[in-house]
Amino acid sequence: MITPNELKQQAQDRLQQQPSLDWLQLPAKAQATFADLNIPTRKTEAWKYTPLTPLLNNTYFEQMAAGEVDADTAEARAGKLGDVSRLVFVNGRFQLGLSRFSDLENQGIITLFSNANDTQRERINQELGTAFEPQEHIFAALNYSSVEDGLLIHTPADFSVQHPIQLVYLSTNEASSSLAQTRVLVCADAGSSLELIEQFDSLGSTNVFHNHMMEINLHANARLTHTRLQVEHESLTHINGLHINLAEGSHYEQHALAFGSALKRNDINVNFNGSNAYCRLNGVFLSKHKQHIDNHLNLEHAVPHCNSDTVYKGFITDSSRAVFNGRIHIHKHAQKTEAHLNNKNLLLSKQAELDTKPELEIYADDVKCSHGASIGKLDDKSLFYFQSRGIDRATAEAMLCLGFVNEMVEQFPNDAIIELARQRLAEFFNDVDKLNNLWSLE
Amino acid sequence: MSVTPLLEVKDLVAEVDGKTILNGISLTVNPGEVHAIMGPNGSGKSTLANVLAGRDDYKVVSGSVTFKSSDLFELEPEERAREGVFLAFQYPVEIPGVSNMQFLKASVDAVRKHRGQEELDAPAFMKLAREHCKELKLKPEFLKRGVNEGFSGGEKKRNEILQMALLEPDLALLDETDSGLDIDALQIAAEGVNALRNGARSFIVVTHYQRLLNYIVPDYVHVLAGGKIVKSGGRELALELEEKGYSWIQ
Repeated sequence: MITPNELKQQAQDRLQQQPSLDWLQLPAKAQATFADLNIPTRKTEAWKYTPLTPLLNNTYFEQMAAGEVDADTAEARAGKLGDVSRLVFVNGRFQLGLSRFSDLENQGIITLFSNANDTQRERINQELGTAFEPQEHIFAALNYSSVEDGLLIHTPADFSVQHPIQLVYLSTNEASSSLAQTRVLVCADAGSSLELIEQFDSLGSTNVFHNHMMEINLHANARLTHTRLQVEHESLTHINGLHINLAEGSHYEQHALAFGSALKRNDINVNFNGSNAYCRLNGVFLSKHKQHIDNHLNLEHAVPHCNSDTVYKGFITDSSRAVFNGRIHIHKHAQKTEAHLNNKNLLLSKQAELDTKPELEIYADDVKCSHGASIGKLDDKSLFYFQSRGIDRATAEAMLCLGFVNEMVEQFPNDAIIELARQRLAEFFNDVDKLNNLWSLE
Repeated sequence: MSVTPLLEVKDLVAEVDGKTILNGISLTVNPGEVHAIMGPNGSGKSTLANVLAGRDDYKVVSGSVTFKSSDLFELEPEERAREGVFLAFQYPVEIPGVSNMQFLKASVDAVRKHRGQEELDAPAFMKLAREHCKELKLKPEFLKRGVNEGFSGGEKKRNEILQMALLEPDLALLDETDSGLDIDALQIAAEGVNALRNGARSFIVVTHYQRLLNYIVPDYVHVLAGGKIVKSGGRELALELEEKGYSWIQ
């Protein structure tokens, strides 16, 4: 095991050797930020319950990840989502051969940073790195310290992208531990709309550390529906930053399903920059075995007349550990805000641990807000209801567990996504005692 | 020729949190009979129904209950259900995320399996469930919704009757099925119950008001007060109660 300082040094050494796009302004700044910051420890408040042990125990920074996946395998993991534009990444590297998005490429809606024209380069330089506070996100600084490539999704004003854009990030097991970094910038110009599906998956066990960044800038009245399935193998180490700017009248909706792994951390940061913007965060996370899953949400209500609804549910069993931190910050001038945040958890084992912290910080005096969290076991009255109908207790418990998760999943944007989520859930439950094979009851 | 009773309750005493709720109840129900249990609030009516169904909030202190010649208290709640005891709940719980269809199928599968009947495949089950929905004037979408999730009071009670129809119990315990129902919903629920009367199936109808008994006509009426049956009679007893109130009995 190395020390945090050694880890920092290794990361800097690695990234200095990596090439960056020469026209991109952010890496120089990000390197300086990274140099300034310390690797978080248990004494760092935002990382108090999230030890970085897997990063200190593995040699992820010795090389950047490579690897290949054949077309059939990629297709199988991507699932059947109907008409979509698909982009596949393997261990952080874009795979043209596994992707199909020519329509959107021709329209200039999807562009790799490495193919960006002058206008697009200008746009990237303008908007990348604007949706978060650099000092607070060391892994974002790490990600942007060397940018070999990236993905720009840009919808022009008043344009509606007809089919969803599906981004599939696959991790594999390589000869030795390695680092994968991906970044996506979404710029939705005024009045445009799109649907995005992100799938983080792996082909069995993986020894990759995936550090992912997505920034979303929704300009006035733009709309985005965003599904995120983080369903990788439990061996993965994954740190994920999602930072969102919402301009006036924009509408962002997220549906997330996340499984625990060696270390999985999601930071979601939403900035309300214009009035009448709306954000909905609908998430469910599950952890079993010795997995760890951490969701950190921060909603910055900086302007008046914006609404947000956040519901996250947690399913925690075995010796796993989950962390939830949801913060609503209502700034002084954000009058007439309506913001609600709730985290409900099912804790099914005495060895499992959940640390939940809903936070509400209000500096305005005319707002409607609520926040709450609950941790419980299965409800006795519900169990008796099942039993009184002839259903044995074990099956009743299993059905209630699935119902708890399914309540969130059934709100996902469409039937194909719901079906895909359920397939992955069936895989997850397959080795959870008493819960295997029950998803087929549907 | 003597009939073997379906249910025989003898000197049943039950308590909750150390407080005696049932204080020596005896009751015999023969196949095909409809018994109404009436009584003021807090008299123990609902407790009796819940104790028979096996809810473990209540502690049986003494007495016995024989169902189909076996000791009912030897059975877990799910075993009682499979043997033919059905409780229509006063307050059915909401279970979001589990569809009504999924719940009904799991329930019917479990009960049919126990009775040595063949498991219904999904299409056959759907057809059966839809037919019963139609009789109870429930829309087919009703089956796709979460169990009781966002159902109106009337829909919840009709869902209980739907389950009863699918499970074909020998003994149905209706716990204040009329509470919270308007007259139309009450009629639909009562028709659902009456459709299941077949000369062999027995019912214990727990109710506060005589009104329900206009639709589900009982063979016997028992008045419960202070955890005991204080008066038994025929249907006319219910009418008398309506006229004079419970204070007359106590």
